[in-house]
Amino acid sequence: MEYKDYYATLGVAKTASEDEIKKAYRKLVRKYHPDVSKEADADARTKELNEAYGVLGDAEKRAAYDSLGSGQYRAGQEFHPPPDWGGGFEGGSAEDFFADLFAHVGRQRGGRSQSFRMRGEDIHAVLEIGLQDAYSGAQREISLGRERNLKVSIPQGVTAGQQLRLSGQGQPGMNGAEAGDLYLEIAFQADDRYRVEGRDVYERVAIPPWSAALGGEREVATPSGRVTVTVPPNSQGGRKLRLKGRGIPASGNSGTAGDLYLILEIFAPPADTPERRALYEQMQREMGG
Amino acid sequence: MPKEEIVEGVPLELQALTLDELARACAVEPEWVVQRVRRGILIGAEGTTVETLQFTSVDLGRARRLAQLERDFDADEDLAALVVDLCDEVRRLKTRLRAAGVA
Repeated sequence: MEYKDYYATLGVAKTASEDEIKKAYRKLVRKYHPDVSKEADADARTKELNEAYGVLGDAEKRAAYDSLGSGQYRAGQEFHPPPDWGGGFEGGSAEDFFADLFAHVGRQRGGRSQSFRMRGEDIHAVLEIGLQDAYSGAQREISLGRERNLKVSIPQGVTAGQQLRLSGQGQPGMNGAEAGDLYLEIAFQADDRYRVEGRDVYERVAIPPWSAALGGEREVATPSGRVTVTVPPNSQGGRKLRLKGRGIPASGNSGTAGDLYLILEIFAPPADTPERRALYEQMQREMGG
Repeated sequence: MPKEEIVEGVPLELQALTLDELARACAVEPEWVVQRVRRGILIGAEGTTVETLQFTSVDLGRARRLAQLERDFDADEDLAALVVDLCDEVRRLKTRLRAAGVA
């Protein structure tokens, strides 16, 4: 597994004070905040900064991290945990190890008293799925550290920003206390074909000029499968055709399904053959413009 | 071989959080939530009193962002709420720009 140098991530010395660490974090997290930053890797950098500050900004977690030998390792270097770190890490990933850092801190805290019971911490993560997964429901496998994979069943009808709760799947409790919960925030993978607002889905559909002018039936691939839609005559680009109830389905027994809006875009085939060119010239003569 | 379990994710819209559960999920005290509900920063639903309010996905996402801003920047609660609102508006506008093919 690879060592992560949290001090380097925040650009501070290993002897930095709490105040210096906080100032460095604030400066960098403002610079890379995904909502304002122009940097291409803003999302990834923000995650790294939050992870680093989550450890170095907490005195006990920082002490546990320092005890791993922050003076001996550089970022990316092959890491060998100390023998008293609980063992069994061979073959584990960096994510496994750093997730267990928190469990190690928990054991330290729990060591204060044999009778000290503490519920496990909740875990929060973002789960990216395709829009089709929201239509049909899906299963996704996620890793929660060494020796623990979860296959998560995602119900039909989830929307972006929705939180799924998986009770008892967070950090284990101490001395018999209950485990925390796992919360997964749903995000949709980027897809240029669709725009989603709540349960309503907007899809761009390209049609040739004669379909727009004459109207007629067209087959369209939608997130819920192929459908035949009727394009009204004399349609202009930007016209919306509403397919009621064909947006993201309702969740459970409550609520209603969203709608699917097909937004017509008119494309002109190129005049790249003599025949096509003649047709366009005829249109120009007879229709002007 | 890692042990694999199949667990169903339950949307908070079908199984809302109580005041205590929301506070725990945000690593704050219940009183922190109560104060922000009373100031209109967090909303909740269906409760007849602040203590019996139910909280769904929007509340959890918003409360966590508020708590992080307040903690990381020692921010005033109203200022943190304003930042969260502005960030939401930026995201909404960026989405529309992308949909329009501008960004």
